[in-house]
Amino acid sequence: MYGRPNLYTSYKQESQILPTWSQKIVLGIFLLILLAMPLDLWLTEQIPFVRFLGDNEWLPLINKVLVFAIATLGLNLLAGVAGQVSLGHAFFMGVGAVTAVFLGGQSSDNLHGLGLPIWIWLPGAGVAAALAGVIVSPVAVRLRGLYLAIVTLGLVFLGIHFGNTTWGAKFAGAPGLGRKAPKLDIRLWKEETPLINLDDDGRWLGFDVSDKAKTYFLLLGLTVIFAVMAKNIIRTRTGRALQAIRDRDIAAEVMGIPEFRYKVIAFGISSFYAGVAGALFSAALSGQVLAADFGLFFSVEFIAVLLIGGAGTTAGPLVGAFFVVMIPKFVETFTKWLDKTEGGITGKFADVALTGPEGDFGVIYTGVQTPGWQLNVFDWNIVLFGFLIIVFLIFEPLGLYGVWIRVRNYWKRWPFSY
Amino acid sequence: MATTLEKQPSTGVGSTTVASLARDWAQRAPNQIALREKDFGIWQEYSWEKTWDLIELAAHGLLALGIDVGDRVTIHAEDRPEWIILDLATVAIRGVTVGLYPTNPLAEVEYLVGDCTPKVFFAEDQEQADKVLEVDRSVAASITKILYVEPRGFGDYDDPRLMFWVDFLELGRTHREQNPAAVDQRMAAAEADDIMTLVYTSGTTGPPKGAMLSNANAAFAIDKIISETSRIPDGKGPNPSDLIVTYLPLCHVAERIFSTWTLVGAGPTLNFAESIDTVTANLREIQPTIFFAVPRIWERLHASVYIRGNDATWFKKKFFDFGLKAASIIGREKAATGGSHTFKSRLLYAIGQPLVFRAMKERLGLRRCRYAASGAAAVAPEVLEFFMGIGIPVFELYGMTENSAVATCNFAGRNKLGTVGEPYPDIGLRLDEETGEIQTKHPGNFQGYWNKPDKTAETMTSDGWLMTGDVGEWVDGTHIKIIDRIKHIIITSGGKNISPSEIENSLKTSIFVKEAMVIGDGRKFLSALVGIEPETVGDWALRKNIPYTTYRDLSEKPEVIELIQGVVSETNEKFARVENVREFRLIPKELDHEDGELTATQKLKRSSMMEMFGDLVESMYT
Repeated sequence: MYGRPNLYTSYKQESQILPTWSQKIVLGIFLLILLAMPLDLWLTEQIPFVRFLGDNEWLPLINKVLVFAIATLGLNLLAGVAGQVSLGHAFFMGVGAVTAVFLGGQSSDNLHGLGLPIWIWLPGAGVAAALAGVIVSPVAVRLRGLYLAIVTLGLVFLGIHFGNTTWGAKFAGAPGLGRKAPKLDIRLWKEETPLINLDDDGRWLGFDVSDKAKTYFLLLGLTVIFAVMAKNIIRTRTGRALQAIRDRDIAAEVMGIPEFRYKVIAFGISSFYAGVAGALFSAALSGQVLAADFGLFFSVEFIAVLLIGGAGTTAGPLVGAFFVVMIPKFVETFTKWLDKTEGGITGKFADVALTGPEGDFGVIYTGVQTPGWQLNVFDWNIVLFGFLIIVFLIFEPLGLYGVWIRVRNYWKRWPFSY
Repeated sequence: MATTLEKQPSTGVGSTTVASLARDWAQRAPNQIALREKDFGIWQEYSWEKTWDLIELAAHGLLALGIDVGDRVTIHAEDRPEWIILDLATVAIRGVTVGLYPTNPLAEVEYLVGDCTPKVFFAEDQEQADKVLEVDRSVAASITKILYVEPRGFGDYDDPRLMFWVDFLELGRTHREQNPAAVDQRMAAAEADDIMTLVYTSGTTGPPKGAMLSNANAAFAIDKIISETSRIPDGKGPNPSDLIVTYLPLCHVAERIFSTWTLVGAGPTLNFAESIDTVTANLREIQPTIFFAVPRIWERLHASVYIRGNDATWFKKKFFDFGLKAASIIGREKAATGGSHTFKSRLLYAIGQPLVFRAMKERLGLRRCRYAASGAAAVAPEVLEFFMGIGIPVFELYGMTENSAVATCNFAGRNKLGTVGEPYPDIGLRLDEETGEIQTKHPGNFQGYWNKPDKTAETMTSDGWLMTGDVGEWVDGTHIKIIDRIKHIIITSGGKNISPSEIENSLKTSIFVKEAMVIGDGRKFLSALVGIEPETVGDWALRKNIPYTTYRDLSEKPEVIELIQGVVSETNEKFARVENVREFRLIPKELDHEDGELTATQKLKRSSMMEMFGDLVESMYT
């Protein structure tokens, strides 16, 4: 019914992702901008932010955002939707990365590799990680909360240890050195020239596209697919069951939701996402597979992305990934810009806040190494994240998405407050 | 039966009835949505085809249960699709529908059952069925079947009269297979002066009386609904694209006309509110285009706007306050011009609409409302002025059961606040020269009271006019203003004639006052019993840090008495000295239908009030 967004005449209509036309149009425009971003178009040059995000300098970061988004979407299904806090996400990503390099990498004397194309190794990475998740999941039926977190933490150390064994090194490469990740090129089978080449700059449909832009398009497509999948899982029977388990597992079981089955499903799907993200991380970002990459810090980083973005929602991981990955770069760029300014209020601020190698009293050190109590930009970033996690946990458990909900509700209730 | 009806000759194809109109819609627009009911969070839709199929099944079911021409079928239920389906099915087979208020207590059910002697009794759920099952067997002797539609709680009931709605429809299906033409035959035999419903008056003074309305009465009222389009601002009558929320009791003539009769007459979609408590939420979902409310509802909407606005955060409150100011100015300008904009009001509206009004109307659920009406009791002009100010075209109208609710209404562009509008064109309406009583004479005049020829005779003049019992006066020669019920006029010991309703309504303008009853017949001065509105006064007390426990405790607080004293003083300023309320007492309990202080339509029963609170009244005069 036109102009009556709350009049639901069927469940199908009620559970629509985008119930109104305006929402559809806004999302459409947003996706168009994302598509046009890396292209050399007059229009994208006019939009602030987007103007430079599409540059080759910033695109690798955007690609990192997308990979992180896929990984966190998976973690969200487990930790945010089903309420099973897991520190083992890095382990499942590692399983995905190693599987990918085994399936897609080239074999040599001391390395196993099958040289299969991307359409096998990428899903393969996900399936292998999902299997690992399913094997681990029974633990979650016995353990809850902190204990589950500790057990999954153990997985991370097991994974790194596996990479260090001589047997494991045949898959993951020599300890500390790793091995080359499979190429992202799209081939039908093992032929010489790929069907679509993602390694070089090229021309697509009359536009100049760099190799980074090509990777970006691939990742963007995958992120959209995974986000839609996650949304659909959350809003359908499986998702409702998982949320019931999160809110009170015993009550959920009383209501006829088999706890064991749904925890297995949660671990399986979540690990599938992690596996794909791990494979993409090594193939599209770092270019190599290194067991030590998939350590505890990685796991914690995804928890941070999830909490800052908003646990339990689909938009949360996307927003959180953007925020967590981009903020250090923004802070760094801002500091550099501040360092160069002279005079005015910003100049005064720079004098107070910054410290150069020649010594000063500012708290931010612009040199590479920290001389004393002042911290440099990188260290400040870590402090900033710690601070943000505390702030969000205390004041806005729903993260950035929760902030948005607050703003939206403020206007939804206008001119009343309830 | 004294009647002024011009009888239409029987045509042999059946007179137009509400049922035949419904059948026409089912043929003309089978896929159009006729009814919506919220079930499990979703508005389930009934197309005309489905609705008519159910009506036909129910009609066959009634035939199978042996309903003959003129037999009564009683419906004791909240508003729900089955209400309308059974109502239309009953009319289709020339039965008589009798609606009972869902709040009717056992004693009233017993009286009504004894009075109208129904054959079939529809009790929607266990609660209603319990009442009729408890009615003495000798009184309920006529009842052969009690239909219920909510099976919960009926597990161990073994009364042979009980029948589940689904089984009833199955019975109808079997009957339809055996006698496919039975319902059509009955419909073809329908006469214009068949009684189609008994509408029981609320009975403020005596036991309820069943007003008999015929098919011709209904047809006349429906014709007025459809053809008098100039009362609606955009000049378009009700039509299939309209949405209506059905939430007032369907047994009352106002909701029957605004829902059932408008549905069959003009084909809009009826949306059944889940219950009276969810009306506000349901209104927001449906955003009806045509909305009828009794003054009580308008007052509540008005009060809720104030309370929620005052609770808003600082920034929102600034805008809210501006909106209120603008609304009162616009309302005043519009009231002065009869509903049209002036330059000033148009300008203010252009600013206020995007900032406050549109959102406010959306929250109220009246953003798409193109015609709103208030009726069934007197409403404070200030309340309507507010709604006019925020851009809801609301009109007061007047009618009563006995004239099929066809008497006067305000027309768009000629709206006069404080009046009930102009008589419909081409109807007989006059004021009695001596008493000022409004009298009507038109084809909507009822057929008399059921089983009460003496009462019927009392309401008819010797020349066939219906005495409404309401005293009115002409305003500017065109509009009518209702003074009061003729029986309510107070003559003080000083010999002054005073209309208590005016004073009562003025008191009720305050958001703190829910009930007011002015007393003074044969007394030296006027006094009043006032019932506070627990929601707003409670809210007020919370803000003032006044702790309270119960309603009684709250109304005995000196601060609350002082608050109401302020309201009374304010009212007194508006009236002449003799009309001033010198003393008042707060009623220590919330008035209730069940306890007999109110009628089913929430009107005060003065006699039982005087019985109940006689001590309180006497304490004011000693």
